[in-house]
Amino acid sequence: MTGVRTCGECGREYRYDVELCTFCGVELGSREPARGSVLAVTRVDVPSIGHEDVPYWCALVQAEDDSMHIVKSDRAIETGERFALSGAPEEDLAVVGVLGTGIMGRGLVELLLARGHEVCWLSRSDEHAERARDRVLERLARTMDEDELAGAAARLAVGADPSFFGRCDLVIEAVVEEVGPKAEALARAEAHMRPDALLATNTSGLSLDELAAGLARRERFGALHFFNPATRMRLVETSRATATSDETAARLEHFARSLGKIPVAVAQRPAFVVNRVLMPLINEAVRALEEGAAPPADIDEAVRLGLNHPMGPLALADLIGLDIAASIMDNLAERTGDESYAPRPLLRRLVDEGKLGRKTGQGFFQHTPRPGGPG
Amino acid sequence: MLGHIVGLGKTRFGPTAKGLPTLAQEALMAALDDAALGPEDLGAVVVANFLGGPNEGRLHLASVVAGLMPGLHLPAWRVEAACASGGVAAHQALMALSFYDNVLVLGVERMSDVVGAELTRNIGMAGDVVLDQSQGLNFPASYALVAQRHMERHGTTARDLELVSLKSHENARLNPTAHFHHKKVTQADVDAGPVVAAPLRLFDCCPVSDGAAAVILSRAPRDARSVPVLGSAVATDVISLAQRSDHTSFPAARAAAERAYAQAGVAPGDVSLAEVHDCFTIAELVATEDLGLAEPGGAALLVRAGETAIGGRIPVNTGGGLKAGGHAIGATGVSQLCEAVVQLRGEAGARQVGEARIAVTHNVGGVGGTCAVHVLAAPGTQAAT
Repeated sequence: MTGVRTCGECGREYRYDVELCTFCGVELGSREPARGSVLAVTRVDVPSIGHEDVPYWCALVQAEDDSMHIVKSDRAIETGERFALSGAPEEDLAVVGVLGTGIMGRGLVELLLARGHEVCWLSRSDEHAERARDRVLERLARTMDEDELAGAAARLAVGADPSFFGRCDLVIEAVVEEVGPKAEALARAEAHMRPDALLATNTSGLSLDELAAGLARRERFGALHFFNPATRMRLVETSRATATSDETAARLEHFARSLGKIPVAVAQRPAFVVNRVLMPLINEAVRALEEGAAPPADIDEAVRLGLNHPMGPLALADLIGLDIAASIMDNLAERTGDESYAPRPLLRRLVDEGKLGRKTGQGFFQHTPRPGGPG
Repeated sequence: MLGHIVGLGKTRFGPTAKGLPTLAQEALMAALDDAALGPEDLGAVVVANFLGGPNEGRLHLASVVAGLMPGLHLPAWRVEAACASGGVAAHQALMALSFYDNVLVLGVERMSDVVGAELTRNIGMAGDVVLDQSQGLNFPASYALVAQRHMERHGTTARDLELVSLKSHENARLNPTAHFHHKKVTQADVDAGPVVAAPLRLFDCCPVSDGAAAVILSRAPRDARSVPVLGSAVATDVISLAQRSDHTSFPAARAAAERAYAQAGVAPGDVSLAEVHDCFTIAELVATEDLGLAEPGGAALLVRAGETAIGGRIPVNTGGGLKAGGHAIGATGVSQLCEAVVQLRGEAGARQVGEARIAVTHNVGGVGGTCAVHVLAAPGTQAAT
């Protein structure tokens, strides 16, 4: 987004950060139009350096002052659409609450702040809050300049008192992937929320009806399953409980799009689609390891090169956390009645030994702890 | 009379293992041979090239070309005007005829060493770094926006763009130096092309080509094959679509065309054939209109009626254009002159248009940021003014 500079004497316009009119020599006035309408738009399917993620959209936007702007967007936009040149959300759902300070919670907060949202982030304690805030702002500082960072910091409230959820248009729960804690967190949030606000869970495939059981306004509840790292991964699995209203489902999907994500609606089947496909892959890799098919690094190398996966299944399991993977597998086995989904003995043993993957420094692989983390 | 094209040479356009000096030498020697001149007859050299720096780490090309003529110490310099480098170089060479009797214009480009995202970024350097590049507006995306606006304003259709592509590929089959000379492109190929930047699909886009082209400009005609240059103009405009209110026509192209026609004393109705800058199919329609060969929005009607095919009323891009003939960027503007000269001499063989009296070439840099237009006449033509 670039401003427009105009000469007060001759009316000529400049689009560079020059200060003088070439003809009149006088200082230029500058303006930054806030919004406009889309004159033409193209969906770009070829990547270039700096724009590797395709597809994206390039719009030719005519601002209110008739100046023209080329604007990149990672969501589909349409000719004639009203468009904010600043990139700030046009939407309702401007103020978003987040529950959970784990990796998904942090990623979500980072994403929401980067997209211009105001965020209320619930932490376990005030001490937790400070650390969580520092870590997110530290991440944002890698891509934001000082002004942007100050703006993001001003839009972020972190604390252990959930009363700030009363300000939120939407609250997203991202606590540990177990029914009990999730249901409890959701009910606790709902108690503080406005009746018109929406509530979403970031579950990767628990039963939404079970999670909704303790809620008073089930029609305003649904699932938004983001992927790690939330700032980069394009997919969001959206899903609805039996009681979720059409309006809620549509607004959640629209919200995901507004964040530059590509939502895929999935029925509330165990583990949705991605984990339903992924967990058996991981489990089979563990079985291959148990059977002595190859050492862990070779199993991963074979899958990476043979299936063109960016990361092998065992390294991915380490990244997800072996306890979380095992818990998803148990949930799958229990809900489908199919024991073949249950974690392999080796996976269980590693979890029992506290070798949970990257977060403990040891899983299928040894991991050197990152300086400063985990917090 | 601004000057005469007395010799031309052009390599095949397309991927090749030949290095930049080899390509340049091939075109240079062919042009000298065609003109029956030796290197020592040249007074100066203008080299046209766009991406030697970013693609190959190769700048200072005038000195590289000097290495092809060791010991001559000719005055030489490089011109860069994005995809219009060749046309702008020819304009400079004509001006240089006030100093020298014979001036070589040598356009050369290697594109195939760099691929994918890096090449797309490099080509995008023809757009503004802030207004365009930072917003991901690469070249297909720029012309896609032009296409959207043209479709909305004039009712141009995706089918019209396909017809341009199929026509150019037909012509390329008749041109041995064309990038796609050996490839028969059918409707099925066009249908199977993936979307690049909507509405532009693969077969709306020119290929990435290596190649070189040269012409020798002289103050005086040398023989009955010398082609007089009646008009030569370069015009520029703001670089980004974001700086313009109209996106269906390029003011720089209209300005250059107007000046070149006036200089030549000809009107668009006098033109027998046009070599225009069709980096994308939509660009050919815009060019046809900007050159006054059709009313705004009327180019598609010409295409639908087959009037721009060889044998039509106003053949456009008889050699296949950039679309099928190839786009070795720095060489393209020079290659257009080569095709015009071959037609005006009546040496185009299977792709010869009927009676070629006046040819116009149109070479665009970026999305209309620079445009060079030349008007050439058949050998023996006397100046109108």
